[in-house]
Amino acid sequence: MNEFVYDVFTRKERGDRLQHVGYVDAFDDETAKIYAWTTYSEERWFEMCVVKRTNVLPVNRVDGLFFEAQKAAHV
Amino acid sequence: MSESLDISTLEGARREALIRLIITLADSKRILGIRYSDWALGAPSIETGVSTSSMTQDEWGHARLLYAMLKKLGIDPEPVEHDRPGEEFASIAALDHEQPDWAGLVALMTLADGAVSSVLRSFSTGTLELAQNRVPKMLAEEEFHESLGSAWYRRLAATDGEARQLLTSATEAMLPGLLAWVGADDDAARHMVDAGVIGPASERLTAFRDHVRDFVALVGVDIDSVEASAEWDEVRGRTPGRPDEEACQRARGDLNRALLVE
Repeated sequence: MNEFVYDVFTRKERGDRLQHVGYVDAFDDETAKIYAWTTYSEERWFEMCVVKRTNVLPVNRVDGLFFEAQKAAHV
Repeated sequence: MSESLDISTLEGARREALIRLIITLADSKRILGIRYSDWALGAPSIETGVSTSSMTQDEWGHARLLYAMLKKLGIDPEPVEHDRPGEEFASIAALDHEQPDWAGLVALMTLADGAVSSVLRSFSTGTLELAQNRVPKMLAEEEFHESLGSAWYRRLAATDGEARQLLTSATEAMLPGLLAWVGADDDAARHMVDAGVIGPASERLTAFRDHVRDFVALVGVDIDSVEASAEWDEVRGRTPGRPDEEACQRARGDLNRALLVE
């Protein structure tokens, strides 16, 4: 069963910058949302969202997590 | 929303029926929390374990809110929570034993937790103000449980190996008892329907069947063909049986009795 990496972004208050707080492994968007919400529950977040890592397109780097995810997705 | 029921006017059989309803819901929540906690460290991934741990906390919180409703009926919930023998627990039969595999827990999340939510949904729109006020937040928190359960149910049902077989077996084993519980139609249940505290048995059953129909169809089960268990314990409002002793000890907090803080 395939799982995918989803990066988790949150902001604590309205107007705060959206910050990357970590990632979860999940098999679809729905479970990624649940895992993120229950895993990163240390704050009462104003907003949380998840992004499938392969949907993040690196602009200037040809290394690092997002580049590697793109490379793996296109193998 | 229905007109509110004056709880202080309840007496005799109606009062007893409400006590039974509250206790079967509260006990089910508490034992459900234990069944989720059984898998907090054995789930298929760290993330799933964290989610089951979170659901454990939700269920225990819901149980405490439900037990606390007994105060309005002049009953101290403390001995109900901490001093009852296992034979008096009124939790649903699907929770009597730890699930032996992850597929069983997925069935529990989708079907048993779904059954409890079906009855709570009916309770929340009934005439009891306490339920109108407290239950909607529980149901909102349950949306996560439902999402996780349904995602895993679909995932396991889509396989063609042992996992699907285990899910099918767990589904077939749970449904008759759940249908009997959701569709309770004995004297006590009818007292609650007459008082407007919950909807009629047929309405509750239809809602539950509609909720699970598409899921169980994925493992070849036609929910409209499943018969409810015929056996029934009118005293506790559940099918015969009881949770295993270890679960009862954990539910009562036997090992932490000296540290109990109320």
